[in-house]
Amino acid sequence: MKICNRCVLPETFPGIRFTSQGLCQYCANDNNSSAYDETKAQYRRRLRELLLQVRSNGAYDAIVAYSGGKDSSYTLQLLAEDLNIRVLAVTFNHGFLSARAIENIRSVTEALNIAHLMLSPSPEALKEAFRKSITSNIYSIKELQRASAICNTCMGLAKSLILRTAIEMGIPLIAYGWSPGQIPLRSSIMSLNEQMMRQANSNLIHKLDSIMGGDLTPFLLQERHFRLFSLEATHPGYHYLHPLAFYNYDESAMVQKIKTLGWINPSDTDSNSTNCLLNSFANQLHQETYGFHPYSLEIANLVRMGCTSRADGLAKLAKPADGRVVDHIKTKLGLVEGEFSSKP
Amino acid sequence: MNNLELIKEFVVENFLFGDGDRLDEETSFFESGIVDSTGVVELIAFLEETYGVKVNDEEIIPENFDNLKNIGQFIERKRQNLHTS
Repeated sequence: MKICNRCVLPETFPGIRFTSQGLCQYCANDNNSSAYDETKAQYRRRLRELLLQVRSNGAYDAIVAYSGGKDSSYTLQLLAEDLNIRVLAVTFNHGFLSARAIENIRSVTEALNIAHLMLSPSPEALKEAFRKSITSNIYSIKELQRASAICNTCMGLAKSLILRTAIEMGIPLIAYGWSPGQIPLRSSIMSLNEQMMRQANSNLIHKLDSIMGGDLTPFLLQERHFRLFSLEATHPGYHYLHPLAFYNYDESAMVQKIKTLGWINPSDTDSNSTNCLLNSFANQLHQETYGFHPYSLEIANLVRMGCTSRADGLAKLAKPADGRVVDHIKTKLGLVEGEFSSKP
Repeated sequence: MNNLELIKEFVVENFLFGDGDRLDEETSFFESGIVDSTGVVELIAFLEETYGVKVNDEEIIPENFDNLKNIGQFIERKRQNLHTS
């Protein structure tokens, strides 16, 4: 299997091309790193300016999508302690959180003295949605470049629930712990507008309705959310915030920091997650179906940014899933061998 | 290569992986699922770098980015604003 000589993208990655030096087109066109560092500094300044504008009259300035994983735990600590932002942590519990992740959520929110909400649609509806995500061709290759079908469904639901909660409670900043490999710097601070929200919501409704017949639509944005969004004339507006894209991303240092809050690395998740049990199965199936690991893009970006080495990235991608966890997930999802795996 | 052809080439290469037969200048990116809310940021990064324009968050709306024709017109307006400012 041919792999880029600089990052970790394999020849099976959709749309990849290699130069005569064995570099993928992303590495061959990689931007100047010193300019990137200056841009990150600009975003840190931009956040400080935004914080002066959006201190809300309510109890919270920011809602943080909190999975209990390493990245969102560190994001919570960064915003609440280092930047002194009033945060509400919200967890989308999809029914497959590691027990250790749930304990980490309790430990970290308690240590930081942060209010916390946990939201869950019905377990059977979620399991059906995840099952049907992998047997129906509802995601494009572009979407599958970034994440497995199960992850795309999970993230769509999580983002909707988080955004709904922010609008209902009038919380102006909506923060995620995406790594810099997952989110482009360009969108790491971005104000929301109604038209794009409606478009994204409509697309998600269309996808989920096609597999779930409307059962999950009540958990997405409703017309009242759009009315609330547009009517709050005195509200400072809503903004997505992905701080790990422009703060220093050093996984070892981050883990050391959150360990002081009582965070413990789960032993039952795969090498690419510190909270989700679904990940093992979702990643394995994605590799078998499409020929590349769904974390390839993120890790390739992290290698290019110098956040991790190529060797460490390749090792992470090559580490096999725990067969017992995969089998447990298949059983819990009610999957029968041979009923899943399809390509668009 | 004119603007529309250049933008189309980028979209076909990065979102359709070479399969551009179904893309004409009024094909809706969002309705057809060619570009989603995450992908539009990638598209904007290309446009900003290629044309030297700055896209403001409030300009990221379907009216400006939903098809090749809209994007072409948006870029043209931005470039005219650059020259007259």
